[in-house]
Amino acid sequence: MNKLLSATCLAACGSALALGLTVSSASANEWPTDDIRLVVPYAPGGTTDVLSRRVADLLQQELDANVVVENRPGAGSTVGTGRLARGGRGVDHTILMASPGHTIGAAIYPDLGYDPVEDFVFLQNMIDIPNVMVVPADSPYESVIEFVEAAKEENMTFSHSGVGSSIHMSGELFKTLTETNMTAVPFAGSGAALPALLGGDVDVSFENMPTVLSHIRSGDLRALAVTSAERSEYLPDVPTLSEVGEYNLDQFVTTAWFGLVAHSSFPEEAQSVMQDALAKVMEREEFLDFADQLGAEPGQVSGEQFKQFIADEVERWEGVAQQAGISQ
Amino acid sequence: MENFSEVVGIFFSLDNFLAIAVGVVIGVVVGSIPGLTATMAVALALPFTFSMQPVAAILLLVGIYKGGMYGGSITAILIRTPGSPASACTLLDGYPMAQQGHAKKALKAALYSSVIADFISNIALIFFAAYLAKIALNFGAPEFFWLICFSLTIIISLASGSMIKGLMAALLGILLSMVGLDEVFGSQRLTFGNYNLMDSISFIPLLIGLFAIPEIIEFYRKKAIPHIKAKANGAGLAFSELKRCMKSIVRGSLIGVIIGAIPGTGATAAAFISYSDARRRSPNRANFGKGEVEGVAAAEAGNNGVAGATLIPLLSLGIPGDVITAIILGAFMVHGLTPGPLMFQENLSLIYALFLGIMCSSVILLVVGNVAIKYFSLIADIPKSILFPIVLMFCVYGAYAVNNATFDVGLMLAFGVLGYIFNRTAIPAAPFLIGFILGPMFEDNLRRSLLIGSNDLSIFVRGPITWVFIVLTVGSIGLAIYRFAASRRGTRNSTDESHQT
Repeated sequence: MNKLLSATCLAACGSALALGLTVSSASANEWPTDDIRLVVPYAPGGTTDVLSRRVADLLQQELDANVVVENRPGAGSTVGTGRLARGGRGVDHTILMASPGHTIGAAIYPDLGYDPVEDFVFLQNMIDIPNVMVVPADSPYESVIEFVEAAKEENMTFSHSGVGSSIHMSGELFKTLTETNMTAVPFAGSGAALPALLGGDVDVSFENMPTVLSHIRSGDLRALAVTSAERSEYLPDVPTLSEVGEYNLDQFVTTAWFGLVAHSSFPEEAQSVMQDALAKVMEREEFLDFADQLGAEPGQVSGEQFKQFIADEVERWEGVAQQAGISQ
Repeated sequence: MENFSEVVGIFFSLDNFLAIAVGVVIGVVVGSIPGLTATMAVALALPFTFSMQPVAAILLLVGIYKGGMYGGSITAILIRTPGSPASACTLLDGYPMAQQGHAKKALKAALYSSVIADFISNIALIFFAAYLAKIALNFGAPEFFWLICFSLTIIISLASGSMIKGLMAALLGILLSMVGLDEVFGSQRLTFGNYNLMDSISFIPLLIGLFAIPEIIEFYRKKAIPHIKAKANGAGLAFSELKRCMKSIVRGSLIGVIIGAIPGTGATAAAFISYSDARRRSPNRANFGKGEVEGVAAAEAGNNGVAGATLIPLLSLGIPGDVITAIILGAFMVHGLTPGPLMFQENLSLIYALFLGIMCSSVILLVVGNVAIKYFSLIADIPKSILFPIVLMFCVYGAYAVNNATFDVGLMLAFGVLGYIFNRTAIPAAPFLIGFILGPMFEDNLRRSLLIGSNDLSIFVRGPITWVFIVLTVGSIGLAIYRFAASRRGTRNSTDESHQT
């Protein structure tokens, strides 16, 4: 009996530890003086989560402090982000892995309760993943131009992984810029969306590179274009959308970006310590290999440039959301 | 196989066996703690696999997945608290068995059917992956729609006590499943401006509340009836009993395999479909829900049948069917492997080494499960006045742990009250759950089909798979009506007779 009770308590303690309620390991005066919390505003298992755990692991080695990942999922990342924005105890040791949900969320939820630009400091853009415009292998369209011309005549369907995802918004942006007839078909995540595309139930998708790369290489899907500013080294023969040069597509540059942000009251000393550490993390071979596996490019911007990028993104997605009628 | 020795070389290392064993142990323990799901454990274990060899890394995660799938049944049976969503169905018969003093038998039935189903699922993965993956690709939104329609007819067979109450419960489940963001337009439905509800009502707090809390309320309402200790553990599972359940186990495993191979349905639905199928066919139909060992076996066969089969779309198409396989996909990618058609050409030996490991995991599950039963079944001996406060603590903790949200604790308690009302008014909880799980799938696939077909209804009869499920759905409803009519005729006849006498 007693044995069982203590076993139960032990299990409870163990799992509490696993969930991140670790005892703090305060050290010298310099920042960090406590464990660092890395908030992931999504459930365990997604790209944001996997990336964050990898970064936490490497950051820990650079900073000589515990970096504890904490998942705060909900409402397309706005729940976790909102909590950070409200501030409170420990925000000077809290960072958050932001992603397109940060800017798109601001565009589609009107009562966010926080400002996606001014309430945060922007530390470092970690990786950029381009989206790829893909059609099923037996699709009649060989190029973006052919596709757009057909989409002006008849209605096309595009699959996406959920309202407000970068995949969805890319589709809406394409539709707006090219002034074509396209219907969004929602799925619960890319995993569920992919069979519809492979099976030819939908005409096109603007999927994240890692999701479709192997299918493009095996010939089950045909890549018409990538959405990044430059061609991707993973698909060097596939043009960028801005290369197409017609139908306003020169304005179509978008990537799924992932970067670390913190509360606006994050101490300046902490910012510089953190940015130095992150710069070192990004040079590590483990990090570059990881980015490579995701089909991602290491992020380019940090600090004020990163902030400007976010501000531009928010403005752009607000426009797209309004035109697509998805702002509530 | 030409590179057999290479496969053996990759597989037979201490690391791999250790990885599977550690994985299964973590899975069983984590799975048995309400609120800690195998999904969380897999996500938390992922960073540790970065530095491991690829085969060991994947086997560790697969081990956790499989262990977790079984582990959930332990607390479902012993304390009516499903450790994971997929074991919600197991408690329908498992908990009554434990109350009758057959805890050990229920646990053993759950373990053996889990292991058998797991084994069948692995066989399907190894030998029929390519074939099943092709079927999965033919499963578009309209096919899904009819599969869900067919599954919804299960409610009829689970509500045989009172059809009206069953349908009421199911409709309430469907209503509550509508809370959250609209899938097509992204607008909020029934959230009352509360951001906690935007991602819909979380399933685990709902489950814990619905099943565990009413037991606790009931216990304190009756002011602690002394714990009747009628040899609480009871005997194990006799071979003859296992044999009797065998048909249901095999059928349940096959249901699990098919559901698992199609991305996006999940183990919880498979457990309920298998359970209701067994109930429809079993000669012990009347005893289901009251502590029927075949019910436990069928439910566990259904959810464990999914485990191996979800790896089919992952390995052969690179498509993760659920969150756990999505994480495993991440692990593959970290190690420079991309699941999908090309992996079978480029990394064949590695795949076969994985298969060997996955087969081993069934055996290890059997061993670990037996040890777990030995210790966990002691819980059945703890007096309820000590056990229930601990259970309540776990309920609160479990509800909180899912999203790190206090709101979910309140939600759990609210569903506790609902579950208590269900108990007092004899409204069955199973149809409520089915409605809650399948309701959104029904709606989403209906709307998705209409979007894909540009509102042309002919998309619903577009191919053989839809035809098969339409026939099954109509047949299932027809059979239920026939049985309902027959039973009413039966009661009328018997009342007539009693009038005559």
